[in-house]
Amino acid sequence: MKHQVMEYSVEHPRTVFALTALLTLLAALFIPRIVVDTDPENMLPHSNAARLLHEEVKQRFGLSDMIVVGIVNEDDANGVYNPATLTNLHKLSAAILNIEGVVDDDLMSLPVSDNITQKEPGEISFHWMMEVPPTTQAQAEQIRSWVARLPMLQNTLVSGDNKAAGIYIPITAKDQSYRIYQEILSIINGLDQRHDEFHITGLPVAEDTFGVEMFKQMAISAPAAGALIFMLMLFFFRSAALVTAPMLIAMATVIITMGVMIGMGFPVHIMSSMIPIFLMPIAVVDSVHMLSEFNDKYRPGCDKKALAKEIVGDLFQPMLYTSITSVVGFASLNTADIPPVRVFGSFIAIGIALAFLLTITFVPAYMASLSDATLDKMSRRVHKQDQHPNSALARLLRLIPGFSLAGSKLLMVLVVVTFAVSGWGISKIVINDNPMNWFEADHPIRNADVVLNNHFAGTYEAYLSFDASQDVGASFSNAAKDALQGSSEATQQAWQTLLAQHTVDGQFQMAELNTAVMEQLFEADTGQADYWDALAQVVDKAAQGQKFFLQPENVAYLERVQQALAASGLVGKTSALPDLLKTVNRELLSGEDSDFTLPQSANANAQAILTYQSSHRPNHVWHMVTPDYRSAIIWLQLTSGDNQDMSKVVDYMENWFKQNPMPQGLQHHWSGLTYINVIWQDAMVTGMLESLASSFIVVALMMIFLFRSVLWGIIAMLPLSVTISFIYGLIGITGKNYDMPVAVLSALTLGMSIDFAIHFIERTRALVQEKGSWRAGIREVFEEPGRAISRNAIVIALGFTPLLIAPLVPYQTVGIFLASIMAISCLTTLVILPAIMHLLRRVLFKELADQ
Amino acid sequence: MKALIKHTLAGTAATLLSFGTAAMDANEIIEKSNLAAVYPGDDGRAEARMMIVDKQGRKQLRQFSILRRNVEKGGDQQYLVVFTRPSDVARTTFLVVKHPGNDDDRWLYLPGLDLVKRIAAGDKRTSFVGSTFFYEDISGRDIHADNYTLTGETDSHWLLKATPKSQQGVEFTYFTVKINKQTLLPDVAEYYDTQGEVYRRITAMTVEQVQGLPTITQMKAENVRDGSFTINQMRNVQYNMGIPETVFTERSLRMPPREWLEF
Repeated sequence: MKHQVMEYSVEHPRTVFALTALLTLLAALFIPRIVVDTDPENMLPHSNAARLLHEEVKQRFGLSDMIVVGIVNEDDANGVYNPATLTNLHKLSAAILNIEGVVDDDLMSLPVSDNITQKEPGEISFHWMMEVPPTTQAQAEQIRSWVARLPMLQNTLVSGDNKAAGIYIPITAKDQSYRIYQEILSIINGLDQRHDEFHITGLPVAEDTFGVEMFKQMAISAPAAGALIFMLMLFFFRSAALVTAPMLIAMATVIITMGVMIGMGFPVHIMSSMIPIFLMPIAVVDSVHMLSEFNDKYRPGCDKKALAKEIVGDLFQPMLYTSITSVVGFASLNTADIPPVRVFGSFIAIGIALAFLLTITFVPAYMASLSDATLDKMSRRVHKQDQHPNSALARLLRLIPGFSLAGSKLLMVLVVVTFAVSGWGISKIVINDNPMNWFEADHPIRNADVVLNNHFAGTYEAYLSFDASQDVGASFSNAAKDALQGSSEATQQAWQTLLAQHTVDGQFQMAELNTAVMEQLFEADTGQADYWDALAQVVDKAAQGQKFFLQPENVAYLERVQQALAASGLVGKTSALPDLLKTVNRELLSGEDSDFTLPQSANANAQAILTYQSSHRPNHVWHMVTPDYRSAIIWLQLTSGDNQDMSKVVDYMENWFKQNPMPQGLQHHWSGLTYINVIWQDAMVTGMLESLASSFIVVALMMIFLFRSVLWGIIAMLPLSVTISFIYGLIGITGKNYDMPVAVLSALTLGMSIDFAIHFIERTRALVQEKGSWRAGIREVFEEPGRAISRNAIVIALGFTPLLIAPLVPYQTVGIFLASIMAISCLTTLVILPAIMHLLRRVLFKELADQ
Repeated sequence: MKALIKHTLAGTAATLLSFGTAAMDANEIIEKSNLAAVYPGDDGRAEARMMIVDKQGRKQLRQFSILRRNVEKGGDQQYLVVFTRPSDVARTTFLVVKHPGNDDDRWLYLPGLDLVKRIAAGDKRTSFVGSTFFYEDISGRDIHADNYTLTGETDSHWLLKATPKSQQGVEFTYFTVKINKQTLLPDVAEYYDTQGEVYRRITAMTVEQVQGLPTITQMKAENVRDGSFTINQMRNVQYNMGIPETVFTERSLRMPPREWLEF
C-alpha cells in the first residue's frame, strides 16, 4: 500500500500536484462561510445541565445579557451629582434607548428609574427620578438624596462614592453587542467630555470584541508565523527550492483543514482560531526531515526517483509514529466535555494526518519533478555548508555527549530533584480564569472593567434562584365540587379536563390552573359564567397557598440569605425581592429608616407589590420573583469575574445552607455568566487531566511497541515527562493562573515533544549499531541527527512566537508556552537521554562488545 | 375605466353621505368622543377584570369593581375602584377625583397594612396596578393636553393625530386615534416613539349597547415592543343608578359601600 502510493506519486507528480491544488481550492471555497463564536457559554455543550438551567432562569426572570456603560467624574466634589454630568447621563441614556437591539423597557439608568418617596406625610409618590436633567446644583443634590434612600439603585446606578453613574443596557442578542458598542461610542463622542470619563464593559461586549480581535490574530499572527518559518528554514537550508515544498504542504494543510471545518458547519472559536498557527510548524517538520535526507544523499547524476522512494521508505516509520503520537495528543482533547476544545483537538488531529499524507505523496513527487540543474545547485550549496559543519549550533552540540556522559549520575539526581520541585509547584497551582483577562491589561475594555469595578458594587453578575413546591391538599377538590353544584354537564366535564391537564405527579399546578380557569371566565357562556366565577374563587384561594414568596417567613429567609452573602465579604451587592418590599413598606409607613422592614403578612406583601406596580416600571418586580410567587432570585454583583472568586462565594453559601436549612420544599440553584465560567473551568480541569493521562498511556504503549522494548519505551517518555512537570511546576511556583490555554497545552505538548525522543532514539540505536560502539555511536548522533532535531525544535519554537504579537492574552500564553515547551523538551532529549542510556548501556546495548 | 368610474361614484356617494359630519373639526370630534367614551350617563358601575399577559405568555388576573360619577360632563369625575381578586389584594381600594387640566386627587387603601395613603400628584402615565394600561387609559386622558388634527377619514372612522402640548410626563411623541363615526368611541389608539414607530396600541375589542349607550366591554392594551398585553373586560355595566357623592369620600376606602358594590 505504502509502496503503491509512493510509486504513483513519484511517477505521476503532475497528478499529485493537481489533486492537491484541487483539494485546496475546493476547501478554500468554504472559508468565506466562516462563522465566529466567541461566547464563553459555548465552552459548555448546549445540553449541559448548568447551562440549560442558566438559560431557563434567564427566561423565567426575563433577564437579558447586559452591556454596562459608566460615566466617571473624578473632578467634581459631588462626583456625578452635578448638572453637567447628569445632563450627559440623560442624553446618553436617551440616545441608547434609540439603538436597535436594546430592550428599552428593561434599561436601567437614573433617567428611566422611578423614585418612590413621601412628598408630604401620609402621601406616597412615584415619579421619574430624573425626567429632565437638573439645571442647578441643588436639584442635582436632591437626586443624590433620593438615590441614597433606594437600595436597589444605590451602588448599582450610582457608585457608593458618587463618582460614577452606570447605565445597564439589556440587549436582545449577544451577537449585536459589538455594533451596539460602536453606536454607543459614537454617541459618547458627541458628548461634552471635559469632566466626564466614559467606560463601556460587560461580557457581551468583551465577547464580541474578542471575535474581532480573533480575526486580527488569524490575519496577522498566522501569516507572520508562516513567514517566520519560511525565513528560518531558508536560513538553515539555504535553498528556496528545498524550502518551498514544506511551505506548500503547510499552506495546503491549513487551508484544507480550516475549509473542511468551516464547511462542516463548525463555528470558529477562540481555540479553533489557533488551528492554522498550530498546523503550520507541525506540517513543516516531516517534510524537512525528508528533504534534508534527500539533500544529504543526492549526488549529481543519481536517479532522483529511486532516491525519493528510498527516502520515503527509510523515514516512513518514524514519521508515521511521530504523526500518530501527535494525533493521539490532540485527539485526546476529546475527553473533555468542552465542544470548542474537542473541535480544536479533532481538527488538528485531522490536519496532522493530512500533513502526513501530503508529505509522503507530495514531497516525493516534488523531489522527482525538480530539474537536475536545480538539484545540483542545491546539493552543492548545502554540502558546501555541511562539509565542515562548524556553526555555533554544531559546536555546541558536540559538547553535549561528553558533558552528558560524564555527569550522567548527577543529571539523574537533577531529574529526580526537578520532579520533586515540580511536584511541589504543581500542588500550588491556582486554577482560575476570567474571560475579561483574555484582553491585554491596557485594552479599553479591560481598563473599563477595572475602573467600574473600583467604583461600583460589581459589573460581574451571578444569580442564586429558589424554587418552591407546595401541595394544596384535598380540601381544594371538595370546595371545587361544591362550587360547581348545579352547573351543566359540559361545565363539569370542562373542569375535570382542566384538572387533569394541570396535575403533575399527583400535585395540582395551581398557578397554571388558575390561569386556565381565568380564560374560561373570559369566554364562558352567560348561563355558566357564575359557576366559573365561583370555581375561580376556589382555585384562586387555593393558589394563594402556593404563593410561596408572598409568605413572610419565606421572604424573611431570602433576606437572611442576602445578609449572609453580604457578611461573606465576597459579594459587592445583592438585590432581591426583600429590598423592594422593604423600600415600599418604608414609604407606605412613616418614610423613616425604622420602617425599612418587611411587611408582616402575605396580603401586605401582595399589596406592597401592587403598589410598587403602579409605577413606570411595573414589570421590574418580575425580575425578582415569578408572577406565581413560587420562584425568587437574588442578583449578585461581584467586583471580580475570576472563577476562583465565584467558587469562593458558592462554597461559602453551600456551607451556610447546611447550617441554615431552607424552608420545606425549597430548592436553590446557581446561575449567571460568572457561575457558568466556573462550570466549564471545572470541566476543563478534569477533562484535561483525563486527556493527559490517557494520551500519556497511549503514547507510552506506542513507544514500547515501536521500540519493541518496555525499557526503551519508558526511556522515550522521560524527556517529555520532565518537560511537562517542569512547565506546570513553574506555573505553580510563579503563581500564574491555570487557565484555559494553559490547560489545553498539557495534552498536546505530550504529542509534540515525543517527536524529538523518537528521532533521537531511532538514530542512536541505528548509529550505535553501525559504529559497533556506544561512545562512537552517540558522538555521531550529535552530528547530523542532533542538528536536525535542534533545527526542527528551533523552527517550531520560533514558529509559535508570532502569537506574542497577537492582541489577546490566551494567544500570547500559548505562544510563550509552546515555544518554551519545544525548547525545553529538545534540550532534555539531547541531555538526559544520553545520560540515562549511558547508565543503562549494558542493558540497552547488550549485544555490543565494548561495554 | 369602468371600474374607475364606479370607484369614483362610490367615493362621491360616501362623501355625500358623511357630509353632515365631515364639517366637524378635530377638536369637535375629540370632544364628542371623549364624552361618549369617558362620561356616558350621569354615573355608572361595572365589574372589571383584567388578564395581564407578559412577554413570556404568563397570565395574571386582577378583578375589581368600579363606580363612577360625573361631577360635570366633560369635567370633574369621581371614581372608586375596589379589588376583589386575587384574594391577597382583595379590598385594596383606589379613590380618584379627576380634575381634567389639573392634578387629580387620589387615595389608596391597603387592607393588609390597614393603611390609607394619598397618592401624590404626579404623572398619570404610570402602570395601572401592573397592567399594560396606564392610569390615564382608565380615567381618560385630558383632551386639552394635546393638539388634535384630522389626518384622514373613511366611511366609518375619523383619524386623528394628537401631539402633546408638553413633553413633560409623556413618553410618546404623538398618538393617532381612530374614532368610530357611529358610536363616537375610539376604536384604536396607537402611540409613536421618537423614531416614529408604534410601540403601544389600545384597541376596543367589543362594543355593546348598554341602556342605549355604546360601551366598550372588552379592551386591549398592547406593548408592541415586547408583545405583552392586557385585556380588560367590563361586565354588568349599569348607568344612571343615582350613586350619591358621599360614596366617593375617604370613608369608603375603609368601609366599602356594599349596596353599590353588590352586583
